[in-house]
Amino acid sequence: MRQLRALWIRLCGMIGAHRDQDDFAAELESHVQMHTEDGIRAGLTPAEARRQALIRLGGAEQTRQAYRERRTLPWLENLLRDVRYALRGFRRNPVFTITVIATLAVGIGATTAVFSVVDRILFRSLPYAHDDRIVSVGLVQSLEREEFTLGGFFFDWRDSQKPFEAFASQGTMLHACDLVEANPAQLNCIHAQAGFLPLLGISPALGRNFLPEEDRPNGPRVALISYGLWQDHFNRDAGILNRTIDVDGSPARVIGVLPKGFELPTLQVPDVMLPLALNEGLERKGMPGTPMRTFARLRTGVSIAQARAEMEPLFVHTQETFLPGPLRKDFHLSIRSLRDRETKDVQLSAWILLASVLAVLLIACANVAGLMMARGESRERELAVRSALGASRGRLIRQALTEAALLSLAGAAAGIILAEGLLRVFLKLAPTGIPFLTRAGVDLRIASFTVLLALLCGALFGILPALQKPRAVALAARSTNSRRRTVLRRSLVAGQIAVSLVLLSGAVLLLKSFQNMEEQSLGMQTHGVLTARIALPGFRYDTSEKKMAFYLQAEAAVRRLPGIRAVAFSDSLPPGGWNSGMRYADLAVAGKPHPPQGTGGSIVDRGVTPDYFRALNIPIVRGRGFAEEDRSSGEYRVVLSRLLAARMFPGADPIGQRIQRNPDGMPFTVVGVAENVKNGGLREEDEPEIYFLRRNVQQDWGGRAPGAEVMSGAVPLMIIDTVLSPKAVTPWVRSQIAEIDSTVPVETETLNQTVSKLADRPRFETALLSFFAFCGVLMAVIGLYGVIAFVAAQRTQEIGVRMTLGATKLDILRLIAGEGLRLIVVGGILGLGASLATARLLKSLLYNVGPHDPGTYVAAALLLAVVALAATLIPAQRAASIDPMQALRME
Amino acid sequence: MGEKSDVWQGTLALMALRTLETMGPLHGYGLARRIEQTSGDLLQLNYGTLYPALLKLEQEGFIRSKWGVSENNRRAKFYELTKAGQRQVKKTAAEWEQTTAILARFLAPAEEA
Repeated sequence: MRQLRALWIRLCGMIGAHRDQDDFAAELESHVQMHTEDGIRAGLTPAEARRQALIRLGGAEQTRQAYRERRTLPWLENLLRDVRYALRGFRRNPVFTITVIATLAVGIGATTAVFSVVDRILFRSLPYAHDDRIVSVGLVQSLEREEFTLGGFFFDWRDSQKPFEAFASQGTMLHACDLVEANPAQLNCIHAQAGFLPLLGISPALGRNFLPEEDRPNGPRVALISYGLWQDHFNRDAGILNRTIDVDGSPARVIGVLPKGFELPTLQVPDVMLPLALNEGLERKGMPGTPMRTFARLRTGVSIAQARAEMEPLFVHTQETFLPGPLRKDFHLSIRSLRDRETKDVQLSAWILLASVLAVLLIACANVAGLMMARGESRERELAVRSALGASRGRLIRQALTEAALLSLAGAAAGIILAEGLLRVFLKLAPTGIPFLTRAGVDLRIASFTVLLALLCGALFGILPALQKPRAVALAARSTNSRRRTVLRRSLVAGQIAVSLVLLSGAVLLLKSFQNMEEQSLGMQTHGVLTARIALPGFRYDTSEKKMAFYLQAEAAVRRLPGIRAVAFSDSLPPGGWNSGMRYADLAVAGKPHPPQGTGGSIVDRGVTPDYFRALNIPIVRGRGFAEEDRSSGEYRVVLSRLLAARMFPGADPIGQRIQRNPDGMPFTVVGVAENVKNGGLREEDEPEIYFLRRNVQQDWGGRAPGAEVMSGAVPLMIIDTVLSPKAVTPWVRSQIAEIDSTVPVETETLNQTVSKLADRPRFETALLSFFAFCGVLMAVIGLYGVIAFVAAQRTQEIGVRMTLGATKLDILRLIAGEGLRLIVVGGILGLGASLATARLLKSLLYNVGPHDPGTYVAAALLLAVVALAATLIPAQRAASIDPMQALRME
Repeated sequence: MGEKSDVWQGTLALMALRTLETMGPLHGYGLARRIEQTSGDLLQLNYGTLYPALLKLEQEGFIRSKWGVSENNRRAKFYELTKAGQRQVKKTAAEWEQTTAILARFLAPAEEA
């Protein structure tokens, strides 16, 4: 406290320094006089007495100096002086200043933008307490790569596990639910156990969490609502607690409000959280039991690997209890950190983007260092003078660092503005390209990162030139001859060329891959197709019969619209996205045994109405597609993709063959074979596919009728093929559906949009890397130009001599351009080596192009070489056209 | 013991504070002489170091200063203790006593255990 007060006074002391100095001079004078008088009284002569007094004081000037240093903050004063000096220098040389700041702004701005995007993926702590110890625990199998548990597993593990101090579950996914009241709303609900929020370290903003007795079947019906719902729907009513709301037709008492911005560890944002309320006894007996997502908090000091080792025997034991033998091979235990669970699939992308933008920043810093060095050359004499006048080496370095810090802070300020702009472009470019992109922005954390980055950058480009000690000869020499000193600048430029070649070849690889992806045939039409997702509120459409009636009515209504070619329903859409999926081993040719479990991988299954193939223009290569009359047939019929047909019936005609899902279930008759469709995502391999017919029977329209071979409960998608533009048809489709039931939410999207969204991430990666490569090459080339122009200017006299001695223009051109060529060759070779070494990392991002694709490297190297050569030819040309007489006259 | 010793680091502030406490307001020169006297002229003070030390105490709020007239009718700056300064004297004095007591034990002739 006292020190702070003193610091403050010293800070204030820097203002109005003169008056205080006079004050102290007076005090000192009175001290000396009193001492002198004492001396005279003791018998000394006045002169001797004064001399003695000054000696005892230790020198008047030294005392004043010590007093001054204590009165203010000397280092701060020095700093201010340096700043003033630097600003004066910048004002004298605005072109230099603006160039440096602009270069830095691009480097720092791009880095800030990318960092703000990848921060949440890679670094920022997750919004839970002890987030580094929270893990996702569960089973994985070929159709579900994200951990899940089943009732029996959960309770068994919860009771016997040792590595975790908390262990709780939420439901598998958000589901649509309705808030029924005067002002109804369709919401997203999630079920969770009483221990779930405490596990995450989340306590409600208002009210309390579920009690254990509320998390039981037939317990009191309670609910937690989200902050957003409380704010928007209930106007932040403080009386919300204990109010009863009606969720899906059954009342629940609101006991709390979730904190602002709460998101589930599955990254979803629920509106309402209800108790999972599992019946423990039943779950322990029943198989499969309720599926859920389980999370746990590791005990301190327990690693994920240790936890996995400890859980493995438990897993094996539970598996033997609950899973039938043949299925076991397909199930594995998985424990992952929560961060990996949330963002594993984009971490590589994020690292690559971050690394490339840091490379751009490095190039920018090198460029600025080059500029500073060039400026240092022209200021060499000034520095030499200062040094000769007694400025210490450290003092000069401090001055140089102050300048660098000022420049980089200005660059950071400009960079933050640029980053905001870049983020907006990113969002336009690929809104779903990378998770959290919509939430990325410059906040305090990002801004501090930027400032830190700028200072680091400043230290880098400030120290390099400052290390060159002004030589004494600079004082005497009338012109500098510092050929030796360009070595550092040259190596910087060669390094820039190398790094930009790495960026360039990476960008070319991604561009090629992106082009391959965009130009590939999807095996279906995407133009002129509209899709509509109609989510029926479960409590009003509570039976499959009601659902079917609605969907069939909607189908007929949309069919009546003009310009409609085909209307179909499917539970999912190629080329990517969710589909329920099944294992190859789940299918058997009738009369033959199933293939062994765990072999054959997974296949795509889709439940479609007959018009599906027409709507998407998928050709039928054998037999026929589904016909309208099949919808009322008692027989189960399927269409196979060519890939699946060839696998199940190699060399035989599949038409009329029968397939079984369960050994004792109804057989499906194959009526046709459809051409393969891109169905595993844009970058992935095609999978074999089976189409089940959605018949006009209620089991085929949602709900899980026990024992029957039915479609999954997924919301059917309406697919509309139109000769008009899909956008024009959209309002008609909406009004047709609204006429049947105006409260049903309808989401529409053209198929083109759906496919384009799938390409968002590759587009994002490609665009960013291309932009970085462009910036990198541009800066490297500018740096190269700078060095060559500098060298040419330095050798003007020499050129004059050579020309008088008979050198032709071509000789001079060759001499100067040769300098540039050397740098290009050295940088290029280094860059090629580095690219080849790092390209492996890109492998999983590439589609149909190898990471060592020779064409790419030739193209990138050629491109860079041509641009770089052009940059050296300009100053070389200028040097060659010098008038020898003028050159000789120059000093 | 003829030689005069220099002032140990950090003790000057305490000496000045303590002197101001017992003597009341003093100007710099008087304070310096008084400190030397109190030490029985064993201390040789470099007067120049006193002023930055006084400034530091003032910045920390333990003393305050104002211009006045000395016993010889000379204009001089007088320093006096503040409330915080009085507390500080007690606190540091206690600390010093403890330190010296500990040191004394180390320096005492070894006793038979």
